[in-house]
Amino acid sequence: MDHRLYIVAYDISDQRRWRRLFKLMNGYGEWLQLSVFQCRLSRKQHAELIALIDGILHHQEDHVILLDLGPAENVDPHVVSLGKRFEKVQHAPIIV
Amino acid sequence: MDPPGRQQELPLPFPEFSGDLPLLPVRMVNEYMYCPRLAYLEWVQAEWAESGDTVEGRYSHRRVDQPQGDLPPPGAGSEETIHARSITLSSNSLGLIAKLDLVEGEGDIVTPVDYKRGKRPHVPRGAYDPERVQLCAQGLILRDHGYRCDEGVLYFAASRERVRVSFDDELIRLTENAISGLRLVAAGGQLPPPLVDSPKCPRCSLNGICLPDEINFFKGADLAPRPLFVAHDEALPVYVQAHHAKVSKKGETLEIHVDDKKVTTARLIHVSQLALSGNVYLTTPTLHELMKRGIPVTWQSFGGWFMGHTVGTGHKNVELRTAQYRASFDDQICLHLAKGLVEAKIRNSRTLLRRNWKSDEDKSILISSLQRDVRHCIRCHGIEELLGVEGAAASRYFSAFGHLLRPADNETLSFNFTRRNRRPPTDPVNALLSYAYSLLARLWTVTLSAVGFDPYRGFYHQPRYGRPALALDLMEPFRPLIADSCVLQAINNGEVRPSDFIQVAGSVNLNSDGRKRFIGAFERRLGHEITHPLLGYRISYRRLIELQSRLLGRFLLGDLPDYPNFITR
Ligand code: SF4
Repeated sequence: MDHRLYIVAYDISDQRRWRRLFKLMNGYGEWLQLSVFQCRLSRKQHAELIALIDGILHHQEDHVILLDLGPAENVDPHVVSLGKRFEKVQHAPIIV
Repeated sequence: MDPPGRQQELPLPFPEFSGDLPLLPVRMVNEYMYCPRLAYLEWVQAEWAESGDTVEGRYSHRRVDQPQGDLPPPGAGSEETIHARSITLSSNSLGLIAKLDLVEGEGDIVTPVDYKRGKRPHVPRGAYDPERVQLCAQGLILRDHGYRCDEGVLYFAASRERVRVSFDDELIRLTENAISGLRLVAAGGQLPPPLVDSPKCPRCSLNGICLPDEINFFKGADLAPRPLFVAHDEALPVYVQAHHAKVSKKGETLEIHVDDKKVTTARLIHVSQLALSGNVYLTTPTLHELMKRGIPVTWQSFGGWFMGHTVGTGHKNVELRTAQYRASFDDQICLHLAKGLVEAKIRNSRTLLRRNWKSDEDKSILISSLQRDVRHCIRCHGIEELLGVEGAAASRYFSAFGHLLRPADNETLSFNFTRRNRRPPTDPVNALLSYAYSLLARLWTVTLSAVGFDPYRGFYHQPRYGRPALALDLMEPFRPLIADSCVLQAINNGEVRPSDFIQVAGSVNLNSDGRKRFIGAFERRLGHEITHPLLGYRISYRRLIELQSRLLGRFLLGDLPDYPNFITR
């Protein structure tokens, strides 16, 4: 059930579907760039996300990829990030 | 080898299912074949846990779940091709109800097709027995409705392969035995024992509820438990205690505003509970969403008083609550559990003193007095006497608690502790202790009710004053381990300072900032991993609290001979 780190990128041809997917992705990860998210998911959440994306997608026109970067606890992705800093999504209690 | 519980067989044919016994879903025949205990947990105790496998399973079914096409009654004389999706059929003589993914056929001859996620397994009969038997049970239901049905098909979604399963005498016998075994288990009111060191358990979505290796270990099996239960926490709490805060739902996230400014968002899938203290505003749609997802909301006054918690419709495991109530009326069981809890508490307090002693004073007399308290506790004859022993040990412990605080370099900024007081606490250390206990009580309450208990009925604490007695009972051994040690850490590491407190009319309280830092320290303590002294694997305190709750349930339901208390070495 341990978390893994993913990069999810998508190409959606229709604005309405794009917005729906964007909203869904916000629930599963952190927005990186236009159509790119960084997610930290358990196996269960990964399966859920795929099922939900599949429900939104138009299989002939759209394309989504999920890149698995490895176990979220100890992976240290080598990233070149220009313009902004890239930081791994954190998993910690939120205290306001 | 036959799993236990399958030896007893009902004579065939099955007696009619009568009256108020609900029909058993055919899926349960599959679960029963996999493991009788799994079927019992899911069907009788309404336990359910989602895993990657179960989510994928539902996903591969989604297309066949749309009813489509017609299943003409047998004997209609038509020679039409049948192609009917998502058909629900039941049989009283089998006592089963099934949702058939797909029925194909011609005239009166039909073939059930069952969708499976994943690839076809490469095993002698083309599929595993639980799947073959489930399919055959569907066939028997179709036969019961008057169709001719000699074989079925398992369709494996990932490899897009069809595997034919012929309903020969051997498979039918196996299926009939499984059906009667399941009916016996469902009616019997006896949880079947867990499998021993089975390769099935790591794949089983209920392993964290069933605790097969832990149960076998505590029953004396000579096998080191595999850490099946231990996993990282998928979700963590969200605390909101700032003044004028508002929590609302936005899409798949929670947004938290303070003074109409957004301060943070939390993804709902990563929220385990929402802990609110003080006057925080929560919208109704948000509360509905939280209840729907089974995320509890806890309410604390700003001063830290635990006011209650909100959950959805609650846990359906009635058997567990019944066992809890029954035990709570039995003086012997109450005393036995209470003694164990107090003993564990004194032992853990003693360990904490021994490990964190910071002063030059000799501690050996104190340590041996506490050891005497432990022995006294074991000999107690009643709850009253036990309360006395606990009180004596507690005052011994707190009289020395000041020796665990790091002497401050600057006199005016030091923490002093002479004795424990509460309601209201009159100095910073007591304020921290009280606050830590209320956080701990809240955590136990939420965990116990998520596991299916009624947190308000206990064995040691009396169910009075609306206090969560069971939570207070079970947290006893964890007061020193989690609350007290977190207070020590926060003070000795300088995470909270004397300037973080406000004094109002003789009562001392943390201010908002200090509280935020202290909650951080508390959560860090809960995430801290320790090696379980008996089970031998590493586990965080957060998971340990759930484990202990489940072990109590296992004891009350007769699965375990005793409740194993947690005592650190
Ligand atoms: S964990 Fe193992 S023993 Fe427990 S229900 Fe699952 S398969 Fe059966």
